[in-house]
Amino acid sequence: MKKLIQYTVLWAMTLMLSFSLHASTSSRASDTESAKALKELTLMLEWFVNPDHGPIIIARENGYFEDLGLKVNIQEPADPNLPPKLVAAEQVDLAVYYQPSLTHAVANGLPLIWAGTLVGTPLDGLLVLEDGPIKSLNDMKGKTIGLNIGGIENAFLNTLFAPYGFGAGDVKLVNVGWNLSSSLMSGRVDAIMGAYRNFELNQLAIEGHKGRMFYYEENNIPPYDELIFIANSKKHDKDAIRRFLRAIELGTQYIVNNPEKSWAIFRDYSPKKLDNELNRRAWFATISRFDLRPAAKDTGRYQAFADYLQEHGELEETVNAVDFMITF
Amino acid sequence: MKDSIKPFIVLSGLLILWHALVVAFAMPAYILPGPLEVANSMVEHASLLWEHTLVTLSEMLLGLLLGVLLGIILALILVYFTALRPWLLPPLLITQAIPVFALAPILMLWFGYGLTSKVVMTILVIFFPVATCCYDGLRHTHQGWLDMAQTMGGNRFAILRHIRWPAALPALASGLRVAVVVAPIGAVVGEWVGSSAGLGYLMLQANARLWVDQMFAALTVLAFCSVTLYYTTDRLLRRLIPWQPETSQE
Repeated sequence: MKKLIQYTVLWAMTLMLSFSLHASTSSRASDTESAKALKELTLMLEWFVNPDHGPIIIARENGYFEDLGLKVNIQEPADPNLPPKLVAAEQVDLAVYYQPSLTHAVANGLPLIWAGTLVGTPLDGLLVLEDGPIKSLNDMKGKTIGLNIGGIENAFLNTLFAPYGFGAGDVKLVNVGWNLSSSLMSGRVDAIMGAYRNFELNQLAIEGHKGRMFYYEENNIPPYDELIFIANSKKHDKDAIRRFLRAIELGTQYIVNNPEKSWAIFRDYSPKKLDNELNRRAWFATISRFDLRPAAKDTGRYQAFADYLQEHGELEETVNAVDFMITF
Repeated sequence: MKDSIKPFIVLSGLLILWHALVVAFAMPAYILPGPLEVANSMVEHASLLWEHTLVTLSEMLLGLLLGVLLGIILALILVYFTALRPWLLPPLLITQAIPVFALAPILMLWFGYGLTSKVVMTILVIFFPVATCCYDGLRHTHQGWLDMAQTMGGNRFAILRHIRWPAALPALASGLRVAVVVAPIGAVVGEWVGSSAGLGYLMLQANARLWVDQMFAALTVLAFCSVTLYYTTDRLLRRLIPWQPETSQE
């Protein structure tokens, strides 16, 4: 009897051991499998992390990328003109870029392709001080405009001023680099271009100034996407990009449904850099600008904008939107 | 071989190497345009380049003129007003410790986006090498000459004019050579941060439009200006200060 008990205990222990061993190896196996299955993507932002990148950060922090089998490495450049070159040179898989600049780049022969939308409206505009002398675009003649050169200023200014009978040649353009708000507040320039409605308007408010923005899309300039994702037109992984955009879509949905909670998640991503009043205000001002359908392709809208640039002599070569937009 | 030919040989060699690199690695123009493409762009945009070169050159030359003057005055103050030295040196060092790139945006707000801010930037970059070289030169005058001048009854000004100054000139010349080489940095950094004309502005525009060949064309013109300025200054200095060591060795 004693022996029987001993055997039974031994048998049970062996069984348990073998079970637990089996379980641990199988769980390790599945771990390796999932690690293997995670597809790595390198994404280069166009600037340091800020609320414009909300859906990317939320998708990362909420684990949407991993759920969809992706490991996304986020990189930040110092020069917004660098990412397209790195994508073209196959150094990074995806980059955040601007629709007008993509059109330029494609016309200049860079092998780039639209691979999704992050911010689906213009954020830029012509910004003046509310209590300044400029009440309408008509008052801009002979004035000085500070800008951070983007490459499309002349076309935009010609369109903005056309109803009043003057053009880009009737204002003085000054490159002010990143000193947009300070050059406007100090009175060195009368207006600024390249200022974002979600950032600089709030920055002015924090500094005790009120800004008045002339929105491009309300003043005859065709609407465009401010921030998009670009990939190499010759070499890109469609399946991975599709999954990436699905994660971005989930991120955007989460932000729209949970503004306060998402702000807390975003802020905690890098509290030392992100937790400040400007970013908080910008976060809530940006929510309505994120594209709810990042993978949705609107070739007609892109073609209309390319044609607009072409008409204003901003493109050296004609471009067709179908050639520089991804088809899933 | 004549010395004046050597730089051209080096330059031609570099151009051939550049062309070979572009051809061998089949470099796309947006990463590195070939010398032929850049030359083509220079011809195509000759008038535009010329217009912006004049702006940058005037910023550089005006900055050089004022910076050298300021540097020399400062060196003289440091030598003759010894009581001021401990007060002047710390702020001088601070101006050099702060990178011009960090200072530039503030200077733009103070002096505006026109010529003044670029000239101030250039002065900031060059006055220090000029001042330190000139100061060193003035300090290290041969003691025997000074003693002799004093024995012969020379006053302070006469000693400066006939002994200290000529003896300091070779050292000042080294400072001037450095100043000429770094002057374009001051001007272009200024244009990069805030401007409406100049080669730096043109480069920014070309960069934003991804016109890499035009950007290289502007860079080439800038390099050409710097090299020409350096060799012209060097020749002038050799002729004006025949007693400097470099000349006497040859």
